[in-house]
Amino acid sequence: MTPALGGTAPHTSAWPGWQRLPRDARDTLFMLFVIGWTVLPHVAHLPLWCSLLTLAVLLWRARLALANAALPSRWVLVAVLILASGLTLWSYQTLLGKEPGVTMVVVLMALKTLELRARRDAFVVFFLGFFIVLTHFLYSQSLLVAVAMLVSVWGLLTALVLVHMPVGQPSLRQASTLAARTALWGAPIMALMFVLFPRIGPLWGVPGDAQAKTGLSNTMRMGSVAEFAQDDSISLRVRFDGPPPSPGMLYFRGPVLTRFDGREWRVANFDSLDTLRAPSNLQVRGTPVHYEMTLEPLRLASLPLLEATDIAPVLEGYRTLALPDLQWLADRPVIERLRFRAEAWPQFTHGPRTSTPALREDLELPAGYNPRTLAWAAELRRDPAYANAGPRVLAAALMNHIRTQRYSYTVAPGEYGRDAVDEFWLDRREGFCEHFAAAFVVIMRALGVPARVVTGFQGTDATPVDGYYAVRQSSAHAWAEYWEPGTGWVRADPTAAVAPDRINRGSRLAPVRGLVAGALGNVSPELLASLRDGWEAVNNRWNQWVLNYSRGQQIDVLKSLGVDSPSWEDLALLLIGALSSLALGVAAWAWWDRHRIDPWVRQMERLRAALRRLGLDSATHEAPRALAARVRSRFGADGDALAALLDVLERQRYSRTTRARPDAGLTRAFVWHARMLRPAR
Amino acid sequence: MLAAASNPAVPLRQRFQRWIQARQPRTDTLQLTQRNVYILPTRAGLLFAITVFVLLLASINYQLNLGYVLTFLLAGSGVVSMHITHATLRGLTLHLKPIAPVFVGDAVLLDVVLTSPGSARFGIGLKVASAAPDSLSWINVPALGQASAQLSFVATTRGRNEVPTLRAETRFPLGLFRTWTVWRPATQLLVYPKPEYPAAALPPSRAVPGGAAKTRVNDGGEVEGVRAYRRGDPLKLVAWKKAAKAIETGGDLVSRDTSAAVHQALWLDWQGCGSLAPEERLSRLTAWTLAAARSNAEYGLRLPGQELDLAGGDLHRRHCLEALALWQ
Repeated sequence: MTPALGGTAPHTSAWPGWQRLPRDARDTLFMLFVIGWTVLPHVAHLPLWCSLLTLAVLLWRARLALANAALPSRWVLVAVLILASGLTLWSYQTLLGKEPGVTMVVVLMALKTLELRARRDAFVVFFLGFFIVLTHFLYSQSLLVAVAMLVSVWGLLTALVLVHMPVGQPSLRQASTLAARTALWGAPIMALMFVLFPRIGPLWGVPGDAQAKTGLSNTMRMGSVAEFAQDDSISLRVRFDGPPPSPGMLYFRGPVLTRFDGREWRVANFDSLDTLRAPSNLQVRGTPVHYEMTLEPLRLASLPLLEATDIAPVLEGYRTLALPDLQWLADRPVIERLRFRAEAWPQFTHGPRTSTPALREDLELPAGYNPRTLAWAAELRRDPAYANAGPRVLAAALMNHIRTQRYSYTVAPGEYGRDAVDEFWLDRREGFCEHFAAAFVVIMRALGVPARVVTGFQGTDATPVDGYYAVRQSSAHAWAEYWEPGTGWVRADPTAAVAPDRINRGSRLAPVRGLVAGALGNVSPELLASLRDGWEAVNNRWNQWVLNYSRGQQIDVLKSLGVDSPSWEDLALLLIGALSSLALGVAAWAWWDRHRIDPWVRQMERLRAALRRLGLDSATHEAPRALAARVRSRFGADGDALAALLDVLERQRYSRTTRARPDAGLTRAFVWHARMLRPAR
Repeated sequence: MLAAASNPAVPLRQRFQRWIQARQPRTDTLQLTQRNVYILPTRAGLLFAITVFVLLLASINYQLNLGYVLTFLLAGSGVVSMHITHATLRGLTLHLKPIAPVFVGDAVLLDVVLTSPGSARFGIGLKVASAAPDSLSWINVPALGQASAQLSFVATTRGRNEVPTLRAETRFPLGLFRTWTVWRPATQLLVYPKPEYPAAALPPSRAVPGGAAKTRVNDGGEVEGVRAYRRGDPLKLVAWKKAAKAIETGGDLVSRDTSAAVHQALWLDWQGCGSLAPEERLSRLTAWTLAAARSNAEYGLRLPGQELDLAGGDLHRRHCLEALALWQ
């Protein structure tokens, strides 16, 4: 496309100003601007070539519009489209799926602007625009995105209105007002349908790539949790009924990883019902913590409940299941925001009291990996102090080793090689929680103690917003459990040994801040914090009222309307009923409105009716002045008042100072005078 | 015609046409109400419906509450746009101004005045119903105001013609719906025959005495008339016999008027058109009428079964043209 860019060079001229642009050029530029705005938030997800190509095409189109030059031939577009498809294939190795799909839609939208010949082409651009707006919500449904996309929709509707105002040069303000009015009048329909449209489950399997990234998953590699150390997005919020437990107690339990192949940790095989039905032997003591949790759609079946939750929480639309390893699962991935109540017991024991065959899996180590660590463990065993030590003593020794041997806790531990544990434990000594947990478990197993890695979240934000404590992706955590005969599984968090603050005060390693936040944070940390808290309070309301609105809330709405056992059929009936009555109301209004006539004509009709009652018939074409003459000749001096009013009306309508609307006082005075005249006759 | 007669749908269609025409009586002032404003979704509207449906599917499948918001916002706007589109025409008053007569082959200019009793109306297109879809002439009507649009079509047959059915339509604001009305104006349109071109030469005229003609012939030889005696008239011009009668009745001397007014008596005759076909004769007579009116001559028109006597002026010209237009 560069040759064509060069070809239009002679047309370069000074910017004539927004107001003085020819109508076509202005409308086209406006539409390009709206398209640019709509695509802009995608720049973060799109490959660089796509952003640049889109920008180039939009600029090229703007230049053509300003120069009033011809559009490129279809072959150029086909060539660019083929090129873009090739680049998409190169970027993603496929043309299917979310990311390639978004890329192709954006490219198509940009290219379609070069083909705006008929009105049909314009419609294609608008409707592609609405699709792009929707694709943003696949990535984020935050308030900010919602506002930006509202502006987009408004812009697209304005451009549509402009297309349908073919006369003259309607101003953008006029068109945008008309578009906003259309949307605002449609808002009641939107609200009604949003509240009442039955929320049914997915119609077919959600593609795998729709999964949100999260620190929780059924596998763990070295560095996989650290990826999320910088991710400040919220995974869940909790509100405690009483005072919140101390941060050191706040372990949200996710998948438990037992199998280790040297590189990756995986969950145990629950391939038989027997293993699923194995007792978890959970025994709780003390007082429970009652809490309400709002879980973001993590698109995982795993429910990160607070340790240890013994009674299944009630989730609208899902069944829940407790695994023997104390993990809670939903029967399918959670793809909507869920709010539920549960109770947790901070003091608990679980796991088999005596050795069982199942524990053998918690001792397995892959052959040939991490030989130096295994040697280190054997060395420890040879130490007389630990030769016959129990698991608890060994764990304490490891913790002490971590605490005293200059290990450090870091967000960016760097890449580790094949024998990652060797490298971490003996050489580099810096890592994130998963490094410590993995090394701890490997050494415990080498020492003959059953041990496993537990993943989940640890800690919350220090201060609540609206009573809710946020748990962020950056709180994703990995810790360890070892088995002690007679007790069961015991939690051991080696991260607490190296970075006690991380666990006990919930303070995470501060990620590198952005430029603005960094500057603001340096000047006034309190301001930054309160701004963030305020924003999150608004965001929380948004989440609770808009994004969290699901089947449960719909059922509540129906119950508050007095339906005993609501079902989605009731919802559908209610929706149809409400929409029908709305339509009937509008139809009734239109029926009433058909009587609307020109107010001047209506006034004249009332005056003529008053004259008719006096026995003076007049025709519609007679002007007030002519009527005045007839009144004077008919009633003489008695009719002077009426005639004078008619003369006033004549002046009001036809003199230079014409009124915009009829004078209701004049009408009343005329009718009154006419009535006074009647008994006199 | 034969094929049409064997088609069973034809009577039905004719009945439908009659019903439609009965619904739409001819009128010069049409008040648009729910009864005569029609609305249907456009192709873009169907595309929009498909778009909204796909957005709904995506929102359901990905459980996107904001997707629902977007879908329902668009659906709501679409429904509202339907009402706005209908209300753009509903309530308007269309009025057709009187139409000036034209010649066959000329463009007829229709002046349509649109009056809004309420809010401003945008993007209303008017056209002759049978014209191409892109021949709409667009107009906005201000709030509580009037706007006039010009439509034109070519007159094809002479005589009194009915104004063709007109059509007003709009897709404002979003183009998802098209609302239209069909209007059959009552005014009849007079179409004169097409003037022959190049026009044949006028038939020879005959000078006729009398009247206030502007052409003066002063050959002095022929006696053409008398007039009141004017001071300085030579005695030999005094018409003594007439003067005596005039004096008897209390009048004055009269003189012979040798330079009496004459005018060209020009008969435009059907028979004078040679052996042309009737319509061609009418064309020629029309061209002659126009030429005669231009030359200010007095002229008369003879058609089979009809004769307009010698006269001049605009009114006569119009009468002649009307006679030509309406001749059967």
